[in-house]
Amino acid sequence: MYSDSAILQFLFKFENIIFSGLAGLFLSGLFVLGTRQLTLVPGRVQNFLEIIVEGLQNFFSDILGHYAKLFVPFLGTLFLYIWCMNMMGLVPFLKSSTTDLNLTLSLALCVFCLVQYTALTRLGPLKYVDHLAGQPRDMIMFILAPFLLPLFILLDVLVPPVTLSLRLFGNITGGDTLLGAFLDMGAQNLFHPTGALSLLGGCMAFLTTVVLRFLLMLLDTIQALVFTLLSTIYILMVLPHEEHSH
Amino acid sequence: MDYQTGLALALPIGVGLAGLGCGIGLGNGIRGAMEAIGRQPEAHNKIQLTMIIGAAFIEALTIYALVTVFLFMGKIGAH
Repeated sequence: MYSDSAILQFLFKFENIIFSGLAGLFLSGLFVLGTRQLTLVPGRVQNFLEIIVEGLQNFFSDILGHYAKLFVPFLGTLFLYIWCMNMMGLVPFLKSSTTDLNLTLSLALCVFCLVQYTALTRLGPLKYVDHLAGQPRDMIMFILAPFLLPLFILLDVLVPPVTLSLRLFGNITGGDTLLGAFLDMGAQNLFHPTGALSLLGGCMAFLTTVVLRFLLMLLDTIQALVFTLLSTIYILMVLPHEEHSH
Repeated sequence: MDYQTGLALALPIGVGLAGLGCGIGLGNGIRGAMEAIGRQPEAHNKIQLTMIIGAAFIEALTIYALVTVFLFMGKIGAH
């Protein structure tokens, strides 16, 4: 598309897959390096990784309670993977793969499969349908149940993957497009200046991108956190809840 | 007015209106969170977490409007 060489065309066509694979390789390499010789008194890399893992464990056990041990591997990896991919968009020559709706949709479908499997194995199919029909206990609720069941299936089963993926995709694409617009203004004014004032404008646009990257770092972290938190809450809603009321 | 002019006029107004509604909603939500923290400062961790989740839900509504803009953006200028 942009060049004649086949390698560059291949790289451009599959850039989202390549960058998401790079993020996965980076995270895997970091954790393999850190856990090569696990000692009781940790060295520097192992200490850093322990801070991350223990922080995530505390965070999820606040919400999930005693089920946290089962779900922390998946949710922690999800958070770190999405965070790594979002951050890659702010580095000058890389691109964040979460700007691809296919990728966010596949992540949301992974969460959807986990939630449905957890519901069917922990609650059981009959109790799950009862939970989806609004838990009918008396006559009025039994009459309303056939109307509530499709509504809750739509709202609690079908809609969450769509909203999860669209939220992550939209936020990250919006942020990166804003950064790209300012970089475009800066590059056009610096490489094809029409006067002294346009050079000043180009420099100011580049300075704005520097400041904008810090704001986008905060926003991308929040979006990764929100994706993981909402997945946690969807899992929490289908776990058998003894203590808290619905 | 052909459809391209209509799109070019309507898309920014749509996103602006979505931003307006979500701004009002977010302001109300965060005001509630601030009042709750002021009333009971020792629960501020839970309240802050719930506020972030609620803000993400409301912000997603503006993002849906933005995604619609991305979908229709290519039609302006296409023939």
